Amino acid sequence: MTPVLITCQIILLVATLAGLWRLLKGPSIFDRILAFDLIAVCCIGHMVLLSIAWHTTMFLEVIIIFSLLAFFGTVALAFFLGEKKSPEEP
Amino acid sequence: MLAQILSISLLLTGSFLILLAAIGLIRLPDVYCRAHALGKATTLGVCFLLLALFIELGIELTGLKIFIAICFQLLTIPVSSHLLCLLAYRSNVSPYKNTNSN
Repeated sequence: MTPVLITCQIILLVATLAGLWRLLKGPSIFDRILAFDLIAVCCIGHMVLLSIAWHTTMFLEVIIIFSLLAFFGTVALAFFLGEKKSPEEP
Repeated sequence: MLAQILSISLLLTGSFLILLAAIGLIRLPDVYCRAHALGKATTLGVCFLLLALFIELGIELTGLKIFIAICFQLLTIPVSSHLLCLLAYRSNVSPYKNTNSN
């Protein structure tokens, strides 16, 4: 089971690095929020792999709360940008 | 044995789908295309990873928590992707130059 877990962790690490590259280089702020989403998903994947490797159920609440925090972070940024955009419209 | 084979294949498929979303995030030319690549592949990848965890850990209270987590991922990731697309469209982010507009 362990080589599979290491392979999956390397794949998720490559995905996280791709997300970091888009986070640095993204032309607009929406690209950066998408990269943030991808990095949050990779963190959830790493938690799943760790809880398989250690055979514990401790991380399940962490997974649920972390996905909730990622979603509300995205929604809060979206509403913040929408509020900032609306007074400029005629 | 069969459960382990199923779990290994689910893990590899889920990680590969997340890698596919990352490649789409790098290679595609536009905010809308990137959100399109991310919102689908990421959802399916995380659901596969959580199903592998479900197979590994068993079906009791942990199974209920994993089911809640899967439902939450299925609800939230497409919603946030669609919200970002809508906001980018409202704030006039220019699409890719070969896009057919209607």
